[in-house]
Amino acid sequence: MIELKNVSFVVPDEESTNGGEPKEIIKDLSFTFEEGKFYGITGPNGGGKTTLAKLIMGINPVTSGRIFFRGEDITGLSITERARKGIAYGFQHSARFKGTTFRDLLSIAAGTDDEGELIKIIARLGICSIDFLDNPVNSRLSGGEIKKIELATIIARNPKVAIYDEPDTGIDLWTIGPMVELLKREKEAFKTTTMVVSHNKAFLEAADDVILIRGGQIAYEGDLSGAKPILEDLSVCGFANVCEGESYAECYR
Amino acid sequence: MLNAIDKELLKEVADLEGIPKGAYNIRKNGELMGREVSANINIETNEAGNGIIIRIKPGTINESVHIPVILSKAGLHDVVYNTFEVGENSDVTIIAGCGIHCGSSESEGHSGIHEFRIGKNARMKYVEKHVATGEGTGKRILNPTTKVFLEEGAYAEMELTQLGGVDEAKRVNEGEIKAGASLLITERVMTDKTQEAESKNELILVGENSKANIVSRSVVKGDSKQDFFVNLEARAKCYGHIECDAIIMDRGISQTIPALKAFHPDAEMTHEASIGKIANDQLMKLMSLGLDYDEAVNRIIQGFLK
Repeated sequence: MIELKNVSFVVPDEESTNGGEPKEIIKDLSFTFEEGKFYGITGPNGGGKTTLAKLIMGINPVTSGRIFFRGEDITGLSITERARKGIAYGFQHSARFKGTTFRDLLSIAAGTDDEGELIKIIARLGICSIDFLDNPVNSRLSGGEIKKIELATIIARNPKVAIYDEPDTGIDLWTIGPMVELLKREKEAFKTTTMVVSHNKAFLEAADDVILIRGGQIAYEGDLSGAKPILEDLSVCGFANVCEGESYAECYR
Repeated sequence: MLNAIDKELLKEVADLEGIPKGAYNIRKNGELMGREVSANINIETNEAGNGIIIRIKPGTINESVHIPVILSKAGLHDVVYNTFEVGENSDVTIIAGCGIHCGSSESEGHSGIHEFRIGKNARMKYVEKHVATGEGTGKRILNPTTKVFLEEGAYAEMELTQLGGVDEAKRVNEGEIKAGASLLITERVMTDKTQEAESKNELILVGENSKANIVSRSVVKGDSKQDFFVNLEARAKCYGHIECDAIIMDRGISQTIPALKAFHPDAEMTHEASIGKIANDQLMKLMSLGLDYDEAVNRIIQGFLK
């Protein structure tokens, strides 16, 4: 479905002493995502998970290597062209607009502004209120509401490939279960190849295949039980950045 | 009689397909072209002969009045002084607007000096659109002045829109808001090429529990320039908010200068302002939904100015 061949992504390292030494975020990575499968992409922070997802959508251009979609080379295609071929992307931090409503975004995503069609889509997400359509997609929305909108715009496209970058960011624990079920239902109904970048166990347990990205490469691929020892070994601590320093304050995590 | 250009201008500024129903006053090239009064809405020429007085009877509900101005005469600079008296407890919509068609190298302009007196507990919606069209190279100039006096419990909503073609605009808005009254002003301005637009706003909250909310949305394209000034002054326990956002495209220049002045300890005043290019995450989102770059830009601007 999606085939990555020797894909690399290099950026100038802003932290390097000479100011521009190249830093390889994704290193010569090859992998084939199969049609209709649910992939959980996980790994330590800064390992390259989100970057990999963005390379597939075309948000970042690959430095070298090729990307194929159903056998067609899409390496040179723009975000728009990839979207029109059936690849959809859910952003970790959804864009907020002034003056654009959920109805506007959903109509663009679905390619129709027919209210009946839009209601069918939001029903798939479990949004019952038609009034919700006229919410402005601005900074007043809660984390849970904006996430529902993000999900709705992806589902509305009936994509062949759906990529979700940390879809549980900003939502409460109780919403994650239904979200996992929704992605599974969509996958079953439309044979959507689903990729979820996440640290969350709920998504990784739902995945047919867990891919662990570390240091820009695939460190593991297989079921979750096989990934667990490696994940524990990495002892992923989300506070590593703030913990580094000279004086020790007795970390109790 | 309305010619093709008149019809096009009327449609642009007042959404009119021809002569409107109800009360109206149409001014063309500095002269009265048509007027109709209704049982509750009277329109007459003022004493000086340089404008009209519109009187709306107390208790007039759900009526509207159209007062468009159209200009297509080279070299004409039309100035009018209009007074609106909105009677107590009424609820009306006033649709104004000015359309300029410039077909020569001579400039054309219109200055509408409007004064509104909104009676106790009355509600008024004022919609004003400014447009300029035509192939001529002459400058199209629009300098509106709007003064609003709100009596106790009155409510006024003013939508002021200028979406293209106007080379020079100097707008002045003034408001005085008494106890329990509210004023909401929404200004939307798009400029392009070397156009310049300036908006100066002086609003005073004089009565207890009065409210003012002024929202400005600017899109600054090409080499155009927009300046936006607000002075919001509180002299009682009241609420005031200013929101000004500008999107800069190409080489546009934008200044926004909001000022809040509290002369009462219970005044609550806020403002938010932003100037910048279209946010990249907005473009990415729309492109990932299948729009190309230009379509995405258009959708964002359309929403912003809606």
